[in-house]
Amino acid sequence: MTQANVIGAFCRFYSVLLYAYPAGFRREFGGAMRQVFRDRCREVARSAGALRVARFAAQVAADFAVSSAREHLAAFWTAARKPVFRGPITEWAVTLGIYLFVTTTLVQAYVIPTGSMEGTLKVGDHMLVDRVAFSTPGSLGRHILPYRELKHGDIVAFLYPEDPRQTYVKRVIGLPGDRIHLESGQVVRNGIRLQEPYTQHIGAAPDAYRDNFPLPPSPYTTPRGRDMLEQHVHDGELVVPPDCLFMLGDNRENSADSRYWGFVPRDYVVGKPLLVYWSYDAPTEDLQEWTFTHVVDVAAHFFSKTRWERTFLVPRSQAAGESR
Amino acid sequence: MNKKSPQELLPLTPPVFHILLALTDEERHGYGIMQDVARQTDGTLQLGPGTLYGCLKRMLAAGLVEESEERPDPELDDERRRYYRMTALGKRVVRAEAQRLAGAVVAAKSKLIGGLL
Repeated sequence: MTQANVIGAFCRFYSVLLYAYPAGFRREFGGAMRQVFRDRCREVARSAGALRVARFAAQVAADFAVSSAREHLAAFWTAARKPVFRGPITEWAVTLGIYLFVTTTLVQAYVIPTGSMEGTLKVGDHMLVDRVAFSTPGSLGRHILPYRELKHGDIVAFLYPEDPRQTYVKRVIGLPGDRIHLESGQVVRNGIRLQEPYTQHIGAAPDAYRDNFPLPPSPYTTPRGRDMLEQHVHDGELVVPPDCLFMLGDNRENSADSRYWGFVPRDYVVGKPLLVYWSYDAPTEDLQEWTFTHVVDVAAHFFSKTRWERTFLVPRSQAAGESR
Repeated sequence: MNKKSPQELLPLTPPVFHILLALTDEERHGYGIMQDVARQTDGTLQLGPGTLYGCLKRMLAAGLVEESEERPDPELDDERRRYYRMTALGKRVVRAEAQRLAGAVVAAKSKLIGGLL
């Protein structure tokens, strides 16, 4: 790349930055600002020196941040003094309104923190959850996106019944009325043995409670799970009560699921995982909140640790095969 | 024309003060102002495009500067540039600000003479 090309690229980048200024200000001064920016670029290029370039970049960044905020504030006050609220206020209000509507009603971003669905979903898959797909009647979003009833094999995002602040993703195994038990890790539903191609069985040590559920509670069974075992086991089978779901992880031997903490109430269903928009290889604790080390890690390894082959992957519901 | 008293506009922010100083001897375009301000301050005040035009916008509104005609700068290239020049009010304001700063320097010296200076 020649120097002129580099400067040209910088100027195009700066033209994009200009859109952060209020429209009125940009129309009035944008062209002149671009001109001045280009002149400064040439001046810095003539003097060369990595230090000068870095200082120039820092100056431009600071100038951009401070002055764009300041002009927005100025535009805001000018608009606020007018009798009718127009311009920037309406613009921001509409944007905010759309954002709130979309995020509260239509979709939600979510990241897979654990490997309980490994084989289908990986730790670090950032996904969008469609909140309308499994919504109950009366939901506003039903007028905008398609919806349907839940069925066996659906992958579902739901609020963790033991702590509704957390969202989990697992697969629907039992719907209301189903009789369920496990034999050596295989699910038997209503007397029929399921062939589940989506599951992953990683050679963990045998565990009677996990593989031959339901049995008397294991130490890992929560009080909710114990309630389920006490009230809903008939003749060695678990019977799913109305408005409840029995959820299992695809990584069957390494999944804390309905076997341990009980049914998921229908109301706790958040939606249907729609697609993976970014998959990043990071440990569980980094995915729960954005820590400083995680930010640094992403900045340094974005290209190498992003699992590009998983970008825009769509997880699919899959019905289990059946055999007697 | 403008009967506004210069005192009402004081104190000026450093960028506004130096932009006015840059325009005292001749009219300049944006980049010219930027270069002159850097010269005046030994490079300590390097205006960015956003700060520069934000200030010019407010200075135009306050009547401190006005736009001159658009024309190319023979030393740079043949692109047309917008030139700015100082108004009579701008001249009075920059003078008043310079006096205010001189007073501040006198006050600072009398305080510091026994100490640092």
